[in-house]
Amino acid sequence: MRKNLIDVVFVPLFLLLVVFPVAALLLNLDGKGIERTLADEMFWRSVVNTIFAALAAALLCTVLAAGFGYYHLFKQHSIVYKVANLLNDLPIALPHTVAGLALLLAFGRKNFGFIGETGLAFTLTAVVLAMFFVSYPLAARAIASGVDRMEREVVDVARTLGDTPAQAYFKVVLPVMGEALFSGFVLAFSRSLSEFAAVVMFGGNLPGSTQVLASYVFTKVEEGELEMAVTASAFCIMLSLLIVALLGLRRLKWRHA
Amino acid sequence: MLEISGVCKCYGQHEVLRDVSLTIGQEIRVIIGLNGSGKSTLLKIIAGILAADAGQVVLNGRDVSALPPEERRVGYVPQHPALFSHLIVRENVRYGLRGGRGSDELVQKVVKMLDLEDVLERKPEELSGGYKSRTSLARALAPQPQVMLLDEPLSDIDVAIKEKLLPEFREVLKFLKVPVLYVTHDPWEAEQIGDSFSVMVDGCIRDIASAEEAFAFIRKNRIEVA
Repeated sequence: MRKNLIDVVFVPLFLLLVVFPVAALLLNLDGKGIERTLADEMFWRSVVNTIFAALAAALLCTVLAAGFGYYHLFKQHSIVYKVANLLNDLPIALPHTVAGLALLLAFGRKNFGFIGETGLAFTLTAVVLAMFFVSYPLAARAIASGVDRMEREVVDVARTLGDTPAQAYFKVVLPVMGEALFSGFVLAFSRSLSEFAAVVMFGGNLPGSTQVLASYVFTKVEEGELEMAVTASAFCIMLSLLIVALLGLRRLKWRHA
Repeated sequence: MLEISGVCKCYGQHEVLRDVSLTIGQEIRVIIGLNGSGKSTLLKIIAGILAADAGQVVLNGRDVSALPPEERRVGYVPQHPALFSHLIVRENVRYGLRGGRGSDELVQKVVKMLDLEDVLERKPEELSGGYKSRTSLARALAPQPQVMLLDEPLSDIDVAIKEKLLPEFREVLKFLKVPVLYVTHDPWEAEQIGDSFSVMVDGCIRDIASAEEAFAFIRKNRIEVA
C-alpha cells in the first residue's frame, strides 16, 4: 500500500516530537521517586495551590471574557472594544517573564505597599493574577467565537421586545452560550495549570506558600531530585489528560444536545 | 399609522435605500422585491435595529427615528423564527410582557388563534417549522406593538403548511388593528396575506395595485425574478 507524503512526514515527526518526550518522562518513573514525592508535604501543597489558583484564575478569566463578549456583540466601534481586542492578543506574544515583571511593577510594593511589605507580590493572590494574565486571551477568544456563532436575529428580536443591550446579553445570549463559556473556562484553567514564568516572577516560588506544580518540578530538578521531578511531572500529565478528556466529553454532550 | 419619509441607507459605496417614503394605516402592506432590493434593511431601520443615514420614522405621530428598538414598541418577526432556545414556548410568547406592554388576555387570545395551546410547555427544538413560525409571530404580537414588521416569516415553510398558516396569520394580524409591513418575494403569498402592495427595486419603493402588477413591474425593469 502506498503512503502519501503527509503520512510519511507527519506520523514519524509526531511520534518523535510529541509522544517520545511524554513516553521518556513516564518511562523514568520509579517506585522510590513516587514514594518520596507522595510523602512530601510540599508536593501536596503545590498541588492544592495549583488547582485552587488555576480555578480562581479561570473563573476570573470567564467573568471578564463574558464582559468582553458583550463589547464584541454590541460595541465593536467603541474605543474600549478596540483597545481590549488589541490587548487580548498581547499576553500570547509576550514572554511570560515580561508579563510577570509587569505584574510585579503594577501590583508590587511600589503601588500596593499599603497591603503588605511586598504589596500583592509573592502571595497566592499574585499566583492567581499571574495565571489570569496569561490565560485570559484564551477565554476571551472562546467566548467571542461563541458570540459569532449565535443567530444575530435572536438578539434583534429581544431588543424589539423591550431588552436593552445588557438585558438581551444576560437573558438571551449568555444562557445559550454554555459551550463557549465552558470551553473558555477549561482553556483558561488548563493554561493556568501550566504557567511557570509569570507565576515565579510575580508570585515567587515559596514552598508551601506560592509554589505550584510547575515551580515544584523546577525546584526538584535544581535540587538534583530528578525522580521526584519526574513523579510530579507525571502527575501534571495525568491532570492535563483529565481536563482534555473532560472538555471532550462536554463538547460531545453539547453536540448531541 | 406608520409614516416613513426620505429614508436613505448606504453600506459603503452601495446605496441600499434611496429616499424611501411610505405611509401605512391599519392594513397589511406587502412589500415585494427581489433579494438584495433593500426590503429587510427597511424593516430593520423601522425596528431601530439599523440606523438610517437620513429620513424619519414616525409612529402614531411620534418621531421614533432616534429611539433604540426597546423603546419603539415594534413587533418584529425575522426570516428565521429566532426563538429563545433555552425558554419554553410559553416563556417565549410572554417574553415581551413588561412595563405595561400587552396583557394576559391578549396572550391567551393570540395563543388560541395561532393554535399554540398544546405546545406551550415545549422547547423550540421540539417544534415543527410551522409551530416555530407561529410562536415567533405570537411572541411579537403579545406585547401589543404599535406596528408589526414581518420579514419573509414563512420562507422556511413548505407550501402545504404555508397554505394553512397564511389565513391564520392574516386573521391574527388583522385582529391587532395596527399597521403591518410584510416582506416577501413570493407573489402567491403576497396575494394571500396583503391588503395593499408596494414594490421595491434597487432601494426605491412605489405603491402598486396588486402582487401580480408588482412582479410585472420588476420584470419590466429588466430584473429576472428569482
